[in-house]
Amino acid sequence: MSKLALARVGCRFGGVVAVDDVSLALASGEFVSLLGPSGCGKTTTLRMIAGLLEPTSGTITMDGQVISAPGTSLPPERRNMSMIFQSYAIWPNMTVAENVAFGLEVRRRSRDEIRTRVEHILGVVQMAHLRDRYPSELSGGQQQRVALARAIVVQPAVLLLDEPLSNLDANLREEMRYEIRRLHDEFHITTVYVTHDQAEAMVTSDRIAVMHQGRIEQVDEPRALYARPRTRFVAGFIGRTNFLDGEVRDDQVVFDHFALPQALFAEPASLSGRVAFSLRPQSIHLRRGRPAASQGTCAIAGQVVQRAYLGEHWDYAVRPQGSALELRVTARPHEVFEVNEAVWLELDPGQLAQIEDRPP
Amino acid sequence: MRWRHRDRSLLLWVLIAGVLLALVVNPLVRLLWASVHGAAGFTLDNYVTAYSRWRYLEALGNSLVLGLAVGLLCIVFGVPMAWAVSRTDMPGKGLVWAAVLGTFIVPSYLSAVAWILLAGPNAGWLNRGFMALTGAAAGPFNVYSMPGLVLVIAASSFPYMFVFTRSALDLISSEMEDAATTLGAGIVRTTLRVTLPLTLPAIMAAFIVEFLEAIALFGAPALIALPGRFQVMTTTLWQFFEFPPRVEVAAAYAMPLLLITVLLFWLQQRIIARKGYVALTGKGGERRLVRLGGWRWPLLGYCLLVTSLGFFMPMVVVLQAAFAKAWGRGFSLDNLTLHNLRFVLVDQPLTRAATVHTFVYGGVSAALALALALAIAYIVRRGLVPFGRALAYVAMAPFVIPGIVLAIGFYAAYTSPPLVLYGTAWILILAFTTRFLPIAYANSDAALRSINPELEDAVRVLGGGRLLALRRVVAPLLKRGLAGAFILVFIPATRELSAAIFLYTTGTQVLSVLLFDKSDEGNFEYLAAIGLILVLGTVAMVLAGFRLIGRDFMLRRTTA
Amino acid sequence: MTLALSLALAFLLGLAAPALAFEGEPALYEAAKKEREFTWYTAHYDSETAAAVCKGFEKKYPGVTCNYVRTTAQVAFQRVSQDIKANLAVASVFSSTDTSHYGHMKKEGWLQPYTPRNLSELIDAFKAFNDPDGQFYATAAGLVLITYNTSLVSEKDAPRKWTDLLDPRWKGKVSIGHPGFSGYVGTWVVLMKKLYGWDYFKKLETNKPRIGRSINDTVTMLNARESWVAAGPSATTLISKDKGNPLALVYPEDGARLMVSPSALMKNAPAPNAGKLFMEYLLGKECNEIMVKFRQDPVNKTVKVPPGMKSIAQVKTIRPSYEEIDKGIPEVKELFRDTFGI
Repeated sequence: MSKLALARVGCRFGGVVAVDDVSLALASGEFVSLLGPSGCGKTTTLRMIAGLLEPTSGTITMDGQVISAPGTSLPPERRNMSMIFQSYAIWPNMTVAENVAFGLEVRRRSRDEIRTRVEHILGVVQMAHLRDRYPSELSGGQQQRVALARAIVVQPAVLLLDEPLSNLDANLREEMRYEIRRLHDEFHITTVYVTHDQAEAMVTSDRIAVMHQGRIEQVDEPRALYARPRTRFVAGFIGRTNFLDGEVRDDQVVFDHFALPQALFAEPASLSGRVAFSLRPQSIHLRRGRPAASQGTCAIAGQVVQRAYLGEHWDYAVRPQGSALELRVTARPHEVFEVNEAVWLELDPGQLAQIEDRPP
Repeated sequence: MRWRHRDRSLLLWVLIAGVLLALVVNPLVRLLWASVHGAAGFTLDNYVTAYSRWRYLEALGNSLVLGLAVGLLCIVFGVPMAWAVSRTDMPGKGLVWAAVLGTFIVPSYLSAVAWILLAGPNAGWLNRGFMALTGAAAGPFNVYSMPGLVLVIAASSFPYMFVFTRSALDLISSEMEDAATTLGAGIVRTTLRVTLPLTLPAIMAAFIVEFLEAIALFGAPALIALPGRFQVMTTTLWQFFEFPPRVEVAAAYAMPLLLITVLLFWLQQRIIARKGYVALTGKGGERRLVRLGGWRWPLLGYCLLVTSLGFFMPMVVVLQAAFAKAWGRGFSLDNLTLHNLRFVLVDQPLTRAATVHTFVYGGVSAALALALALAIAYIVRRGLVPFGRALAYVAMAPFVIPGIVLAIGFYAAYTSPPLVLYGTAWILILAFTTRFLPIAYANSDAALRSINPELEDAVRVLGGGRLLALRRVVAPLLKRGLAGAFILVFIPATRELSAAIFLYTTGTQVLSVLLFDKSDEGNFEYLAAIGLILVLGTVAMVLAGFRLIGRDFMLRRTTA
Repeated sequence: MTLALSLALAFLLGLAAPALAFEGEPALYEAAKKEREFTWYTAHYDSETAAAVCKGFEKKYPGVTCNYVRTTAQVAFQRVSQDIKANLAVASVFSSTDTSHYGHMKKEGWLQPYTPRNLSELIDAFKAFNDPDGQFYATAAGLVLITYNTSLVSEKDAPRKWTDLLDPRWKGKVSIGHPGFSGYVGTWVVLMKKLYGWDYFKKLETNKPRIGRSINDTVTMLNARESWVAAGPSATTLISKDKGNPLALVYPEDGARLMVSPSALMKNAPAPNAGKLFMEYLLGKECNEIMVKFRQDPVNKTVKVPPGMKSIAQVKTIRPSYEEIDKGIPEVKELFRDTFGI
């Protein structure tokens, strides 16, 4: 039985559909991110899980019990969840220790137990030495840790995080990503994490649910999401990619001025008619001379149209001969090519991910 | 050569700062000076005289008790109402809000008169009703007492507490409460441990305002305390002004009040300093209203009860008396007449003149206060003159000075050369302006904070000067916020009595003084008629204001 | 047109013309018209009466506007003192009920002497109250006597003399004013002290009287049924009674307190001629006829009191002398404050 399950959950405000037919199941201890651009419905979904909003359709169940349904919802204070907000929402009128102890006081734990557990969790988040400070005396990162400690110490059934890192600067964000994942691994709390930053989602999550216009487009592990995006949106949202539209003809998939043998694709039997693919820039290699023929790879002649040097890698735009397409290619720093130089693109058709060709 | 590099408007800012200092500091300095000067030069005799009689000390003590009691009672009145209106799904919020506004408009001396009729120990309507219901020999209510005075004043001035608390509640991000809720806290615990503590700074600030209001009032104590056989500071100060006016002794007597107020502010700062309540950001999604269930109606009942103390009941009494031939005869059809209104409006030219004066002086002083406050807020926020921060303190300083003390200071400063303003409308207007400058400043500052300086920078880079930026960009953006501030100064200015009573002359009569004078003629019918005119006139102005700038200008602190 | 006709015409015209009240009136009127308006500080009546008096003046002398400012005596005095201190000339005529004010003003040289032509019409008994140097004249009179609410007290139970007010059955039910605010009350307190010593008030305090500010507050107290009996003013009580309120007067057996209130012309009067004209008017027939309508006691010997009130001549009255008042009022103010605590 899954720990938390959303079944066809929807939420509409007046005429606006914020969340549309969302289904998701989390196993106990799993860390799932809701990833998407602003307005995609991820925060709304999170708030419904928390009980701060009521769904207009569908149900949310936890451990088999229905906790949210249209017309009947368990209030947030009875769900045994914890939530971390974008603003951290640390109460300025209480010290760090008092903030963290709050949830335990509500649960009527003994004073000794509260003290011990608070000390322990503050140690875990490395805030023990600041226990008597007030929030206004803390930095952003420190406040974030207090929020985490407060949320985790009550051992919630589910931990919810709403874009907790967006108020931090870049370095701190990186550090905290790992911190959040580390805490998750230590305490094994089922976690739902909302973010618009794909790097965050990738680093922290067991699975990522990519949301777009109120719907979940794909739920998968990070690597699968990246390598095998199933929709145009997901492919474009996670990392950069090349979109290739083609047609299956005579055992070949024909693209704009080049073709690739159908047999070399990942699932050749499922290809027919018009097809669309996503090809990651890292999956293409540039060669000066025509590469030697080898199992599974193809070579296409082309010309460098544009290039940009980003320090860690090169960004090339290459046009296959005769084609209108410009393929983006990521190359290593020492692979230097000039603009207008003739090059060969080497790629493995097995790495083309087929996407449902949804109209944009 | 350096002049070309200076912003030409610098001269203007310095001038404005000078005006501020003259307006605020001059009376204070004169007051201090007067308190230590006698016929023979520097002396402490005034202080000795002021504090030598036990009666005077007692009056001071009474004022302190009054101030503290009023402050506490206002918390009891105003905080639950603010919470109900801001946070819950209580019905009838529009009605409650209108009633609070009505309470704000009705002057406390008018409601004091009404309360005498309601709760006079022998024949107040409430007592008579009680006796009729229970058959008791005497009613329990006696308005002529300290508790009576506290009730009347608190019922009349709690709107400040309401508005401050409500603004703070509106600004608390609901994430603060959601955090508690998701951790398992119910409504009561969340409200008591998170919501209300976060409003503590606002409540404390309002407490100080209420305290200052209470100790500075003259009208209500004169009507209630005197028959109740106790004096307060303001009625004692009045004594010092009997002929010959002993301004020096009055000044000496008033000084400790300033010290006490400064002490209160210092206390407030200490209590909230460490906790840094600045983090009140109004972000965080829709605010969820607390569902009260069966508690909605009792809460509404409480709100209406409180507003009836300061608004509904007094207005009923005023209406009855204004249209009565003889108010002692009570409600009866044959006791109705329009004679009172006709007399005060037609037969007594003084009323017409006073009405005009009241609204003109109120309007002018509100406009002046606002203009000056905005200019100073701008100077401070943009750092246009050195020691700009000090200006902010000066602008807020009159807050600390009870109105009556300010009036005495004005009297001391402007009834003798070099600048004699006594007898002109200006001494009243300037006194009102100074008195209400802090409110105007607080609002202007808040409004200005919401404007990004880059908007003005864009104008200046394109070649326009600061003044152009102010006129074409800043002022239009601030219109709504400032309109609200205007009303907040206008209404108290129209009903101000404590300052006016020392500074008016025949040619500059205002309705508040007229009303008060009437109260010792025993002619409550005319008094009520004048009171009715004052209230209706102000309501008309406020409604006109609403129409011009939109209904919700005072309901929400909009951060544009 | 013969001589007879002209004479007849003159006779008829003479009949139709308003009676010339005093010699020199037209010239004074002309001079007053040039001044156009004047201000009158008065504590003598309530606003309604003052308004009527002013209106009467304007009716008799069109073209001269009468602005009145009605306050209690102390406030009026305070106003005029402040005005003078600030070198402002506002009031032309000053009417206070506290005669000690006039002593002070005379000493400071704030008044100007003027002998009204209408002085001959003043009731003889009042002439003793005029200033020998001609700087102020009695223009109003009233009585302080015992008043009560008829719906609470029957006529036979009502107090008959001042000492009856000390009776414990009136505990918590008797109302007076405060000498610190009201000239009427101040003079009454001086009188009581003279008659019965300060003990009178010490005993009165045990009856816990309701203390207001002006003597007119007693009317309010009675009307509101907060008090049952009071030491109140004849005029305002009667006016309130006329309106329908249940009030009645008792002329005390030990003497009603006669209040003779003077008026004076200010030395720095902005409109001296209008002021003089007004002084004449105050002593004249028209003004006094208006005054009695408002239940004031007339000072003009030709004007009769209306039914329902007794003429001053018929009533036993007592009044302290000017010196007694001058010295007495400041003294009793302090005593009062000490005894009653406020």
